[in-house]
Amino acid sequence: MPSASKVLKLAVVALLAVAVLAFPSIAPNPYILSAGVLVVYYAVLATSWNFVGGFTGYISLGHGALAGLGAYATGLLAAKAGVPSFLALLLGGLFVGLLAVPIGLAALRVRGASFVIVSIALVLIMLLVFQSWASVTGGSRGLVVPRPFSVTRPEHHRIFYFLFAGLLALALLAWWLIDRSRFGLGLKSIREDEDKAEALGTATYAYKLIVFVVSAVFTALAGGLYALWFGDLDPVFQFSILTGSYLVLMALLGGVRQLFGPVTGAIIVGTALEYFKVEYGDTPLHLVATGLLLALVVLFMPDGVLPAIGDLIKRFDRSRSTSIREVSAAELREQRLQNTGGSR
Amino acid sequence: MPSGALLFQSVLLGILLGGLYALLASGLTLYFGIMRVVMIAHSAFLILAAYLAWWLHERAGLDPLLTMLGTVPLFFAAGVGLQRLLLTRLRPATLTMMSVLLTFAIALLIEGLLGYAFTGTQRRIQLGYGSASIEVLGARVAVVKLIAFGLAVVALGTLYVLMKRTRFGWALRATIQHRDAARLLGIDTDRVAGFGFGIGLATAAVGGTALSLDTTIYPSLHWHWIGPLMAIIVVGGLGSVPGAAIAALVLGMAQSLLQIPMGTTWAQTVFYVALFATLAIRPQGFFGGRLAQRF
Repeated sequence: MPSASKVLKLAVVALLAVAVLAFPSIAPNPYILSAGVLVVYYAVLATSWNFVGGFTGYISLGHGALAGLGAYATGLLAAKAGVPSFLALLLGGLFVGLLAVPIGLAALRVRGASFVIVSIALVLIMLLVFQSWASVTGGSRGLVVPRPFSVTRPEHHRIFYFLFAGLLALALLAWWLIDRSRFGLGLKSIREDEDKAEALGTATYAYKLIVFVVSAVFTALAGGLYALWFGDLDPVFQFSILTGSYLVLMALLGGVRQLFGPVTGAIIVGTALEYFKVEYGDTPLHLVATGLLLALVVLFMPDGVLPAIGDLIKRFDRSRSTSIREVSAAELREQRLQNTGGSR
Repeated sequence: MPSGALLFQSVLLGILLGGLYALLASGLTLYFGIMRVVMIAHSAFLILAAYLAWWLHERAGLDPLLTMLGTVPLFFAAGVGLQRLLLTRLRPATLTMMSVLLTFAIALLIEGLLGYAFTGTQRRIQLGYGSASIEVLGARVAVVKLIAFGLAVVALGTLYVLMKRTRFGWALRATIQHRDAARLLGIDTDRVAGFGFGIGLATAAVGGTALSLDTTIYPSLHWHWIGPLMAIIVVGGLGSVPGAAIAALVLGMAQSLLQIPMGTTWAQTVFYVALFATLAIRPQGFFGGRLAQRF
């Protein structure tokens, strides 16, 4: 007999899936539909980010650069080399996956803060290169990517909505599989205590690198799909440090330990971003809003929305089993301190 | 082959630039040393100080250097407040990561509010001595660059004396070296950490004023600074003030020299090349910095 919370969880997931699939049919106009495409795009990116951020605890602010690389690889192959659009997409993903190996080799040698610095540097250097190397990338004049389908605009949005949703399903499946595997367990041990994990024989460096590459490939595929959908690339937007911070915000807000955390965050933040864009247009107030939201999440809800809701449900559900539970190092430390009654 | 005079001029400009970099990076290493905090918002405060200098000059005709009388104490207070009110709220186990995000959020707030208050238009202070330059052994050096360098030297000198000669400096260094041991000796480490943060932010006030003298400023300019500054502290070894100073001078000089054959934009890549090379060869940084790899 499955517990009530499990049934509830499955019901919510099924409801969510139906809502996602039905969205294009109920979207009142093409603009809302295109906003929906953007939200699903963010959901794919945030889920891809969560391969590194959620499992290993390494926070990358540079995933925007990986998405941008995927977009430009796909766009350049399709526009300049005449490769069929979706072959270009796959090749773009493959290319970024290969590129992620040396990047990961360098970046993953350092931990915590240094890693974040490197990830920021990745965005800044890519912006510099793609703006300056105008003969290949088109520089700030932009790169026009040929559209793969010759259909009306709403139909175009509809097709890409489902393509993004398919990619999202694939990313979620991969995350779920890793979450339940021995590999995933090794990654989580890195998150909790990298030194101890290494001492116990976990090949931490290889683990980190593999999951970084997996994350990069999904991110690049999402970026490439965006290039095919949007049809126009500009380095300033593709290699923006803001994109990376949106992903972190989404994943954190939703909850990095949950399968559907980043998706939840993407729906909340993505919708908010679109709303801000409509309301405040060109003013820089969307930066203020993003900054405030990020600060609030970091200060008051570092575990995310989904765990908060989960706690609420648990309070009403007495039948929940208490045998095995995931406890983070931070929680353990807090418990220990409470028991000893000491301060920090 | 560039002429000797041009090379000499580039070296001179490189030293001047490196001095400014050293001043700004010293603030970053202070934060990191004290609390293992990577302060992404440092360069945003820099631009904020530059804007305040510009605004007061525009409105009241104040010389930018005089605005420091206001901005330095203001930024010091902001730093103390930031540390005491916000950063101490973060959980110790995830402090480093979360502090990055928190300061990133503050950087976004500053950029957004600056853009809201002053629009995205590029601003520049018009000074009587703004275009003046003097000749040093055949090389022309703008007076404002010399003033900026002078500010950096004075500020760094003050910082050095403060750290080495005062009781507060000893307490601060003890806190950086071993927080628990410092507390056992009766040092109020929380207070000291707050003041240390304030000093770090005060260096941003000085640096921002120096920057306002000869740069065109706009709200998103801080992204141009954060990359080089971060590269400098990683190359120098996170948490090491002398390391940051040496790395700043070396990289500033390299940037200045590379501008001759490569142009200004590509010369900027030297910071990122140095960053990745450091990680590949010596992840803990080239000078000091035994803390770096673990955090």
